[in-house]
Amino acid sequence: MSETMRPSPEAERLHREMEAVWGNPRGWRGLFSVVNHSTLGLRFMATGLVFFLLGGVLAMLVRTQLALPDQAFMSPEIYAQVTTMHGTVMMFLFAIPMLEGLAIYLIPKMIGARDLVCPRLTAFGYWCYLFGGIILFASLLLEMAPDSGWFMYTPLSSGEFSPGRGSDFWLLGITFVEISALSAGVELTVSILRTRAPGMALHRMPLFAWYILAMALMIVVGFPPLILGSVLLELERAAGMPFFTVAGGGDPILWQHLFWLFGHPEVYIIFLPAAGIVSTLIPVFAGRPIVGYGWVVAAILITGFISFGLWVHHMFTVGIPQLAQAFFSAASMLVAVPTAIQVFVWLATLWLGKPRMSLPMLWVSGFLVIFVCGGLTGVMLALVPFNWQVHDTHFVVAHLHYVLVGGMFFPLLAGVTYWLPLVTGRMPSERLGRLGFWLTFLGFNLTFLIMHWTGLLGMPRRVYTYDSAMGWDLYNLISSIGGFMMAAGVAVVLVDLLLHGRYGRSAPRNPWGADTLEWSLAMPPASYNFASLPRVEGRHPLWETPTLGDEIARGEHARPGAAHGRRELLGSEALTGRVREVIHLPGNSLLPLYAALCLAVVCVSLLARLYPLALLGLAGAGVLLLRWSWENGGHRRAAPLGHDEPEAPPLHSRTADGPGRWTMGVALLADGAFFLSLLFGWFYLWTVSPEWQMPSRSPLSLPLLLASGAALTLGTLWLERRVAALKRGREAGLALALSAIAALGGLHVALLVMALLGAGLAPTATAHDATLLVGLAYLLGHGGLAAVLAALQAWRAGLGLVGARLPFEPGVVALLWRYQLGVYWILAAAMALLPRLTGAGP
Amino acid sequence: MALAVALATGLAGCSGSHSILDPAGQAARDVASLWWGMLAGFGLVFVGVVALWLAAFRPRERPARSPDQERRLARSWILGGGILLPGASILLLLAFGVPTGQRLLPLPLPGGETPRVIEVTGHQWWWEVRYPDEAGEVVTANHLVMPAGEPVDFHVTGADVIHAFWVPRLGGKIDMIPGRINRIRLEADAPGVFGAQCAEYCGVQHAHMQLHLEAVAPAAFEDWLAARREPPPEPDDAHAAARDTFAAHCASCHRVAGLYQGDSGPDLSDIGARATLGAGTLAMEEGAIARWLAEHQRLKPGNRMPAHDHLAPEDLEALGAWLETLVP
Amino acid sequence: MTVLRRWWAPSHPAQLLLGLTLWSLWFVVLYGGLSVACALAPPRPGQGAFTAINGGLALLTLATLALLGWLAWRGLRAGGVSVGGSRFIALTGAGLHLFSAAGVAFVGLPIVTLPPCL
Repeated sequence: MSETMRPSPEAERLHREMEAVWGNPRGWRGLFSVVNHSTLGLRFMATGLVFFLLGGVLAMLVRTQLALPDQAFMSPEIYAQVTTMHGTVMMFLFAIPMLEGLAIYLIPKMIGARDLVCPRLTAFGYWCYLFGGIILFASLLLEMAPDSGWFMYTPLSSGEFSPGRGSDFWLLGITFVEISALSAGVELTVSILRTRAPGMALHRMPLFAWYILAMALMIVVGFPPLILGSVLLELERAAGMPFFTVAGGGDPILWQHLFWLFGHPEVYIIFLPAAGIVSTLIPVFAGRPIVGYGWVVAAILITGFISFGLWVHHMFTVGIPQLAQAFFSAASMLVAVPTAIQVFVWLATLWLGKPRMSLPMLWVSGFLVIFVCGGLTGVMLALVPFNWQVHDTHFVVAHLHYVLVGGMFFPLLAGVTYWLPLVTGRMPSERLGRLGFWLTFLGFNLTFLIMHWTGLLGMPRRVYTYDSAMGWDLYNLISSIGGFMMAAGVAVVLVDLLLHGRYGRSAPRNPWGADTLEWSLAMPPASYNFASLPRVEGRHPLWETPTLGDEIARGEHARPGAAHGRRELLGSEALTGRVREVIHLPGNSLLPLYAALCLAVVCVSLLARLYPLALLGLAGAGVLLLRWSWENGGHRRAAPLGHDEPEAPPLHSRTADGPGRWTMGVALLADGAFFLSLLFGWFYLWTVSPEWQMPSRSPLSLPLLLASGAALTLGTLWLERRVAALKRGREAGLALALSAIAALGGLHVALLVMALLGAGLAPTATAHDATLLVGLAYLLGHGGLAAVLAALQAWRAGLGLVGARLPFEPGVVALLWRYQLGVYWILAAAMALLPRLTGAGP
Repeated sequence: MALAVALATGLAGCSGSHSILDPAGQAARDVASLWWGMLAGFGLVFVGVVALWLAAFRPRERPARSPDQERRLARSWILGGGILLPGASILLLLAFGVPTGQRLLPLPLPGGETPRVIEVTGHQWWWEVRYPDEAGEVVTANHLVMPAGEPVDFHVTGADVIHAFWVPRLGGKIDMIPGRINRIRLEADAPGVFGAQCAEYCGVQHAHMQLHLEAVAPAAFEDWLAARREPPPEPDDAHAAARDTFAAHCASCHRVAGLYQGDSGPDLSDIGARATLGAGTLAMEEGAIARWLAEHQRLKPGNRMPAHDHLAPEDLEALGAWLETLVP
Repeated sequence: MTVLRRWWAPSHPAQLLLGLTLWSLWFVVLYGGLSVACALAPPRPGQGAFTAINGGLALLTLATLALLGWLAWRGLRAGGVSVGGSRFIALTGAGLHLFSAAGVAFVGLPIVTLPPCL
């Protein structure tokens, strides 16, 4: 019983010492400069909850409108905005950020770390989410919300057919929120791979971490296509570049490909963490380890990959050849296998254990019933001829709610009830919880089970009204009643959530008898999570060592205390969990807030079509982000040389391969996904677009491109040599060499600008020129960044912040150069060389 | 419980003008059988999984098993339920699904004939229907007549945004995409009237984009076409004032064969013979056109025809009365 | 080169991703190849499934199948003789290769029945 347990004096001293370094700042300033993952994870979830409630209100409006035939409760314009926003809010502002928040809160605690590996990025991500969400939602209050449906098909969403600001709100707001998702994706990946507790090898990692790793990587690869799509559509709307307009050589179907390349993985991005909750809870409540750990890992990986091969099943009616449809149909069915593996792993675990139907398990059971049903209708929908009939009917609406509410909302509530005692130290109410569950569960099924039938009777989705003669009245009325019942259920759950902090009985330590590390912490956990960092020898640390919590608090494990004033955690080898370095993390900072504010200025000024201001905001964000990267490594605000430094393992900035390099690598993976989407767009328009116009001669000057590429190649090779030399301890002439490399980068950019100016592109006339322009702008942006970073490295080398003892940073910058080298030559070949070789033409 | 409600109420009411489960053509019938088959098969799977789940929570004696026995047992669960069950299901599904889809392909007919082609273009928010024919093209709007008992190829496209052509009781849907022509082959078993609906969200009046589709005996179809190819009768004096109103306010958008050649709105040459107005917004009856002209922005808010507030009610009445006479 | 050799070992975690990556690459080439082939040289509609396009896709599929099968066999063999983390990686990797192979076979099935470009 936590309050009767007196912590030992040693633990208290340790707590005070660490709190001084790790604690959140007080006062209003503290509100904005927090970087702690627990605080920010909870903020993500609280904000997500607010958006969930708003999205829920929109759903109730929809159900009110459809309750009876021929209703005039909402005008068609408002109805279109409400349905579009309901989908958008639930997907982008609730489901994903909510699960990210949960992962941000839990992952370090589960893998035995004190924080995520890029705390300022966590804060930046949160602010981007908050501002993006507010901007997007504001459109509804201004009655200029997007109204083209949540998937925003062109040309309906383009300038001609949606002349208002609605689509712009969507495109800009969503992109803003996606920056947040990408930030979370990148840092969760690196944190899971590189900051696990000593000894926690890959095959001992909690399954939840596997699920989140897959989710994070899927965000990293899956979101960029939509970001590209949004950029292109916004360019079409704002500047008239005809990417999606047939007359200019574009193709509206390109949007659908880019959207669903993101949109289908998105479903699994939402489902995987939820399944991770289920796989975490079931062993706890069955009182035995999960059976088939390796099977589940394989199922997670399979789902992660296959889900990228399904996107066309949202497009079976666009007129793609049937053989191609059959490939996607078969791939869509294939995804049933990993799902079935997980379901039967869960079943076998329950059968081999002694399961208890505690409140969290009730929600898990609700999940199972609903999700299995949704999964089965999903397999039906994968069948092409059946899909042709029910596509875009209420059958699909019912299916997707079964999958998303069943596959995300129910597990989420299971997780919330399960982890609530950890966050607040108090137990949720069993009685209110059960009432809330049953209302939600029955209400949900009443709403959506019958809706399958409404769809089979031919009711299309997104109609604001229907005629009584259709025979859909009764079913719609039932759905609406069920909807309000579900809303009542959610309200009861909410009341429990709000009241339990006051009236709930206080939670005993590890109240559910769990096996994972987060339950070894204080409830609520301290800002630094672990006073000392435990070694993990098995998959179930708390079952193996029930006294682990006290040992940790007393500082009996690795690196207790923070007398050195640094926020430290251990970096480990990705595969084995062997300790490699001590990672020092940055502390509280306002820079993330300021940078996000600058991006908000960009967003708002683009909406207001104040382009100079947008540029100013972009520049401001760039400067702030660079400033943020400046306070790193040996900087006096980070870890200056010779200040109470550990020898073995060393601080990460004293090595050649710290987490920053991994972060850069994963970020470049996202960048690469963006690049590949762009390349796909180019080839897609070239081969498929009905009125594509290829000029008889490529407008890009080959000599200039070659010269620019030569400068880049030279700079990259040189940089790589210097990085290798630095590793061997040679630093003579480093600053000078880095300056020269930066100058080569500058030359690369200058020559590319000349090629661009000499091309005389007419990007508003043809999609060909517009795509070239975007491609060149992409290269220029990256080239410019590479040059600037190299110049900053030269400066830091001059200041002694980079050198033989601080060899870390140039290796990070070199990754960007290497990336730019690759994409430059690929793009030059695809856009300038290939058209020459194939003898371009119509 | 809800399932029971669904089945009880549902089986009683499979019918309906848009019901997938009341097929009137081979393509739709194939899909309806697929549905019932899948419902039965997957229903069993669903009940089985849920029953296994609930049964696991029953208090019961557990036989003592060694870890090795447990591992083997778990593996058979996973192999059986996680690999074999879904593997067999999807193999079976594909075996049924691919041939069903194949039958819907617009392949050349066995005898080497080509099916009749009807061109349908989606507009915000109405349907343009063309019957290409050497004897002369016939154009109508929001009202499609096709021969029953023979395959018809529909060539569809979108004039502005993406729409979708869907006759639920005859078969699947196909998108109508600007810049492309998509093809779908449908066949009605017997004469009848079938609802059709735009199935891709196309803007605020997506709900009111319905198409009245009538299948008639092939001979009747030829007659129907022939009647529309006849040159229109000489205009009579009774409706001269209405025609003046039309010329001044309507003719720049609407066509009336032989008189006016507007081409951005629906062709009105045979409007008196149509079943609905406003693409399914209003049933056609005496006086309906005048009502539509007066109230169309209330009945179908946001439609592309400007409101007629500046016209006197009696002018609209006269206009409606004249248009009702346009029956070939 | 040494990096590649290290990744190629059956116990390296990269093997967890290799099979599915091959599946994905095969899938992209299958879909992309079909689309480009249909844009360049569509066969007559009456020809059915016996076209050069189907033949090419089938060959590609068989080759991928063989590679994945071999990788799975290699992983199973390596898993049998190792312990701990290496065993976990090798066996899970083999399972993933096996699944990818099944996935290639299953998704490739329609090649033998459907005409390519309709």
